[in-house]
Amino acid sequence: MLEWIQRGLSQGRITTRYPRVGADASDALAGVSAPAQPYLAPARPPLAAQAGRLRRSIHVRHIDCGSDGSEEWEIQSLWNPYYDIQRLGFFLTSSPRHADVLLVTGPVTAPMRAPLERTWEVMPAPKALVAVGDEACARGLCQADGLTAGGVDAVLDVDVYVPGAPPPPVAILDGLLLAAGLPVPERRVA
Amino acid sequence: VSPGGVGGQAVATAGYPPEQLGAGREPAPAGEVRLVVPAPAFASAAKLMQEANARFVTMFVANVPERSLVAAFALRGELVLLRAPAGGDRGGGVGEVGGRGSDVGEVGDRGAAVGELADGGARTRTRACACVHGEENLFASIGAWWPAARWAERELAELHGVRFDGAEQAMCLTAPEADALNDRQVHGLDAFSIPFGPVRSGIFEAIQFHIETGGEDLPRIHTRPFFKRRGMEARCAGLAPDAATQVAERVAGIASCAYAAAFSQAVERALEVRAPARAERWRAVYCELERMACHLDVIAKEAETTALYVGQARFQILKEQVMRLRARLTGNRFGRGMILPGGVRGEGAMSLDELMGAFDRIERDLRRDRRMFLGTASMTDRLIGSGRVPRALVEEYGGVGPLARGSGLSIDARHERPYGNYQRLGLQVISERDADAMARVEVRFGELSESLRILRQTVDHLRRRDGELKAELPGGGQGAACGWVEAPQGELVIWVELEQGTIARVHIASPSLRNWALFDRAFPKDVLTDFAFIEHSFGLTVAGADR
Repeated sequence: MLEWIQRGLSQGRITTRYPRVGADASDALAGVSAPAQPYLAPARPPLAAQAGRLRRSIHVRHIDCGSDGSEEWEIQSLWNPYYDIQRLGFFLTSSPRHADVLLVTGPVTAPMRAPLERTWEVMPAPKALVAVGDEACARGLCQADGLTAGGVDAVLDVDVYVPGAPPPPVAILDGLLLAAGLPVPERRVA
Repeated sequence: VSPGGVGGQAVATAGYPPEQLGAGREPAPAGEVRLVVPAPAFASAAKLMQEANARFVTMFVANVPERSLVAAFALRGELVLLRAPAGGDRGGGVGEVGGRGSDVGEVGDRGAAVGELADGGARTRTRACACVHGEENLFASIGAWWPAARWAERELAELHGVRFDGAEQAMCLTAPEADALNDRQVHGLDAFSIPFGPVRSGIFEAIQFHIETGGEDLPRIHTRPFFKRRGMEARCAGLAPDAATQVAERVAGIASCAYAAAFSQAVERALEVRAPARAERWRAVYCELERMACHLDVIAKEAETTALYVGQARFQILKEQVMRLRARLTGNRFGRGMILPGGVRGEGAMSLDELMGAFDRIERDLRRDRRMFLGTASMTDRLIGSGRVPRALVEEYGGVGPLARGSGLSIDARHERPYGNYQRLGLQVISERDADAMARVEVRFGELSESLRILRQTVDHLRRRDGELKAELPGGGQGAACGWVEAPQGELVIWVELEQGTIARVHIASPSLRNWALFDRAFPKDVLTDFAFIEHSFGLTVAGADR
């Protein structure tokens, strides 16, 4: 175990600087198509009001409603040492009854519709719902048909959309900050 | 066309077992063998394949050259497609799934409720199965005596209306919400059942395990996939090959490059085009980086579930480095959009020297972390002897990928039927004999080194020779063929039919679906708390299995 610790110490800090990112496109931002935009401004006050009582310890729950599996990887990445989202006050919880924010991926397939509704129902208020990925944001390949609902907003009200196929971890982080009413940094991407 | 298929073109060659039954041989692209038998002889021909030690790959309904039921087997370095004409014309007979989205709702009798859910009931109740079940659609069951064919048969029966005589009656496979927990088989004083999933703790894909336990030992686990079925095969139909490749990439997002490569190769083989050598080399680079990311992800999850959190962090760092390398190289963290039918979209965005430097850094870190990981007894103690899947069981169920290689089988599509760049490279197939979770982790470590070796060799070739990146596809072409690659999860086979230059029909034989069928049997002496790391040692995707 000592060896593991030595190895970690010798590597030094690798966590990506956050919230401020330099003007050059860093590795963490590769694949981000658009920086945080001023059009988000009107959405902030209502979200902040809704999330006002959450303070800075926010518990996140995820439900997969038919994603292609890559969104799960990118959400998991947020807890790796590069992004280390816990330092910003986000924790993963295993019960929806303890959750403040629900991350939903996928276009909501028919068998997942009832579990999604039930998960949302048992979450205590105040709560926020973040749709992660193009399919969940109703702009992916799967349209509404007998197999899928075509997007999360066909089933529940979505607070924050995080588009991308899949969105990179930084974009999901921005979505979480927005949903929690926390400041989202303005970014410049070269 | 006569029931005997293209009898006139049949080539009389000895060697393939069904030919003893008078199966005709049809012309096929290299690496494929196509045999046609009359429907009544289908099951006995399959039996001969089993006796010849063939591995069952998949079973599907094809429209080319005529509506037929096709079973695919891997035998002696070739993919054998055994075809039986299903009778009837395209409108009737075996369920129609050709048009875009038209397999929506073809969910069989028990799954008919699925169609009603979308659009708040606005959608009309979908037909249970509009096709007429004529006697000509009745086949003798293969799954009754060959477990590998069971799920394939049930999928065909539930989604495409093919009937199998003698197949065991089981719970609906493809519409899992229909019947919940009324299928308990373990009874006793302390026995209880846990429906684990589809909403699971942590960030995982939706799948349900119906666990029956007395608290510690696990007498029965029943895996229920298909919570995530999006009908991706039908969504490919009617699209141009380039657009359909984008759909194929999203079937299993963590193996995008493998799906795009298998799909592209199928299109190329159907149209008799070959991608230029330089394109094949770039494909190998993208696919091997993907394999590394997937294997590192599995190892990080193994460390997490055995509570070795420092190890988890180390391998997450390595995985993120590979993801960022792919982002710099292709502009996408999953390497999407690079592989297209006919070749690749472009060169990687990094210089080849830079790429070599990145491989060196990853290899140095990997070597050190691997030594520490395998030297940590608290972790290896749990993995050794857990989740044993004996070789005979893997053979019976047609398991593939790191799972099969961990059980002593040297199955690797890159080696069995070399494709693309792998025809130019020597490949060491890594296998272990212990058949437990540790063996599967060791196979993955071995493959990480092997991937780095392939990457170095390929980049070296790229450096020395220049060349074209894309071959033109003939406009309005038609044909049908299989394409295959060794995805990180195992051998992936995609059948593609083209009509007038657009995709008419696709069937995806995902490695994950074949391996999930084995998962129920992976807990002979294990306890409930071992569940998580045995699951991760399989390293499968749910999206790929459900499609």
